[in-house]
Amino acid sequence: MILKLLSKYHGAINYEEKDIINFPAGIPGFEKLKKFIISGISGSPEFSILHSIEDTQVGLIITSPFIFKKDYEIDLPDYITSNLGIEKPEQVTIYTTVTLSSSIENITSNFSAPIIINEELKLGEQYIMDGGKYAVRYPLFKEGK
Amino acid sequence: MLVIGRKKGESILIGDDIEITVVKLDDGQVKLAISAPKEVLVLRKELYREVEEENMNAVAKNIDILKNIKR
Repeated sequence: MILKLLSKYHGAINYEEKDIINFPAGIPGFEKLKKFIISGISGSPEFSILHSIEDTQVGLIITSPFIFKKDYEIDLPDYITSNLGIEKPEQVTIYTTVTLSSSIENITSNFSAPIIINEELKLGEQYIMDGGKYAVRYPLFKEGK
Repeated sequence: MLVIGRKKGESILIGDDIEITVVKLDDGQVKLAISAPKEVLVLRKELYREVEEENMNAVAKNIDILKNIKR
């Protein structure tokens, strides 16, 4: 059955029950929202919207950090693999949140807090890295690129 | 909320398997040693706040800017 979400800022988004990703802990800033879907952005294949189906105003822009930093790597801590029931790497998809700006060079992504999703179990959690390996505001479009 | 005084070298236990020890006191700063199971998240609060802020910044009302990015 096709369900429809009427996003306040991104129009109608169609999805199915099986597309819903559960975030049992919510995500920081939106702890009460537990159910999200991921919707593509037409004409911008590098970016998607992680949209709450419980609040029509909340859609976070996300990307895959690997597109912008080929050697991006994270070591998932035990509490994440255990919370998300992760048994093998193939189950995992990783996104990072994107902050847009009217000037392209100021578009950044939070590479230090990736959103980890177990695609098989449709479970997600944001992993806040400690130690400063990656920038909270990593510029996606550097000069001369 | 429990408020408790501790001296250097003293600890508190939380549940069965979390122990926090005061290691060092130095002019307004305290160094703690935290021993917790690997599946327990231990995080400096300001990091959580920073992520909260970035998540809110990632909620975009207008994504037209993405169309103008040259590829």
